Amino acid sequence: MIIKPREVPGNISRDADVVIIGSGAGGGPIAKELAEEGYSVVVLEEGGCFTREDFDFRAGAAFTRFYRDGGQTVTLGLPVVLLPQGKTVGGTTTVNSGTCLRIPRHVLKRWHLERGLRDISEDELNLLYSAVEEYLFVKRADPEVAGKNALIFLEAAEGLGYSGGFLPRNAKDCEGYGVCAYGCPSGAKQSVNVSYIPDAVKAGADVYTNCRAERILVRSGRAVGVRGRFIDPVTRRKSHRIEVEAAVVVLAGGAVQSPSLLMHNRLCLSSGQVGKNLSIHPCACVTAILDEKLGNPKGIPQSTYVDEFAPEGIMLEGVTLPPFVYAISIPWVGRRHSRAMLDYPYCGSFGSMICEHDSVGKVVAGPSARQPLTLYQIGREDLDRVKRSILLLAEIWFAAGARSVQTPIDGFKELSSPKDLQRLARISIKRASIYGLTAYHPMGTCSMGSDPDWSVVQPSGETWEVENLFICDASVLPTSLGVNPQLTTMALALRTAGFIDERLCQGSFDQQYPGRLRRLRNRLRAERVSLTRRLAERE
Amino acid sequence: MKSYCLQRMNALAPYFISPQPGMPQPDPRELHEFGEEFFTNGTPAYRLLYFFLILILQGLCLLLRGKSLYALPQEEAEDFIQSLFSSRFATVSAIPMLLGTPIYMSHYNRDDVQIYLGFEVEALREEAAKREVTR
Repeated sequence: MIIKPREVPGNISRDADVVIIGSGAGGGPIAKELAEEGYSVVVLEEGGCFTREDFDFRAGAAFTRFYRDGGQTVTLGLPVVLLPQGKTVGGTTTVNSGTCLRIPRHVLKRWHLERGLRDISEDELNLLYSAVEEYLFVKRADPEVAGKNALIFLEAAEGLGYSGGFLPRNAKDCEGYGVCAYGCPSGAKQSVNVSYIPDAVKAGADVYTNCRAERILVRSGRAVGVRGRFIDPVTRRKSHRIEVEAAVVVLAGGAVQSPSLLMHNRLCLSSGQVGKNLSIHPCACVTAILDEKLGNPKGIPQSTYVDEFAPEGIMLEGVTLPPFVYAISIPWVGRRHSRAMLDYPYCGSFGSMICEHDSVGKVVAGPSARQPLTLYQIGREDLDRVKRSILLLAEIWFAAGARSVQTPIDGFKELSSPKDLQRLARISIKRASIYGLTAYHPMGTCSMGSDPDWSVVQPSGETWEVENLFICDASVLPTSLGVNPQLTTMALALRTAGFIDERLCQGSFDQQYPGRLRRLRNRLRAERVSLTRRLAERE
Repeated sequence: MKSYCLQRMNALAPYFISPQPGMPQPDPRELHEFGEEFFTNGTPAYRLLYFFLILILQGLCLLLRGKSLYALPQEEAEDFIQSLFSSRFATVSAIPMLLGTPIYMSHYNRDDVQIYLGFEVEALREEAAKREVTR
């Protein structure tokens, strides 16, 4: 069941087979898989539990309620990058756009060559991806509800000869209300809060909400439980304590919180890699004023993409802005700002996401475990790539017939014709000249690898240093993916669930492949055979 | 510090939002309520930054215009803030951007303002309430 702080009468002390810290893309699937296997599972979630009634189209309020620190988390460095992270049951999946992309082949190859992760084969990942995609109803965005903004942009991009299409999303019967990032009001988006967690609860898992894990209990080099405190959702004061003794501890707090908790607990620090290797996929957004009304923000916010430049590390993905975000992005104040706001119905927007090459980031311990500091310095190459992506976005918007285009580059805030693009292309920009960069995919801070000197977790997801402590969130992804990481995080979570199952069953890792994973593979193979047979019969 | 930030946020709102005829006016009560939630749930670092930015804004105004921002006529105050926004220096242009963020978030989060801008939020809310997707 889902237990809220007001339902907790006093301090709790209990045991379980598995205790999971975090209920997002990593914690949710593990909770479901293990609970369905019959293990007793306890999930500690720092955020609150919200339902579709709470997702009421109020974007501004959503930031203060569903996001960590009111959505004000930023990276320190040049330029400052806004790094919002969900803090609710379902984690960031509750407030993301639902895009489900598989790992690009060249990135997986890099994992094999540079990180020694040959255990994670393409075939195995594809099976895991299929399982997640089937469970989450992943399919391409429906053009009917993709939104005018996205369709116009895609058409213009294709007109210029750039390849693109509709993004695969974990949404079932989506109506395109346009507010994915503020919680899906119809429940169409199959985020973890409406999929894995309810199924985990059905199978017997207990989810404690507004409960912050503070200490991972370790005895004789083995993780044996977690201690935490409930936080009053209104006053933000700490209330009752909770202590869960468990055979396995899973840390799934995300790539910023997980290393912070390890650092504050002084765990897994000997490799020196905890908190390092941060990548975030810096994103820029370019807006344009068109001649026709676009019905903003109705339509799937992230429904289309342009991947022509993916080999360069540039992915263009759709975005729609609610009025307040558009208001913040306008570089004027007062009367001029209000006049510009009247253009909101005509405003098109599209974003770019950079797969980092030479940027450097890390998470360091802050004043408290709750507030780590995220340091990030964008590299010269990546900065040029950000500029190039902005130029591409602007070029496509002008091709779509934009009257003017707004960019996040100082001195080029408004471009009135394609001629301005040439001017922008000629200059070399400084880090401080770009403002309003955002990032949504922190990764890599507890990276997975085959060498204990250069990684924090083993290919199984278990930490090198603390037995029975597994990490399963985007922090284990060893390099920048170049695509939205939720699907890969979930696929790896299923894989890790297999290893945990094996650990709980047998207490050792003697076999090359764990039983759980083998069963999953067999099931998927059987389903594929039956599907092929059915298709053959139909033909 | 939070109450000071809230008070100043309310005082600054008219310089950031000068509604066009027909556009809903900023509502001080809503601004206060939203600001309260924004600063309570937000990071202490942002509160601190906001506090200092208010002081810096005032200091720059005294230095460059010889008067407190609040003593300037509305249009002149707006022009002063706009001049900071248009600065070549990112640190200077960030001042009004950061100060304006909670003001815009609060104002453009209101249903009447969103409807005025063509986002039929009430109709969509009703439609979504009638529709529930189950697994």
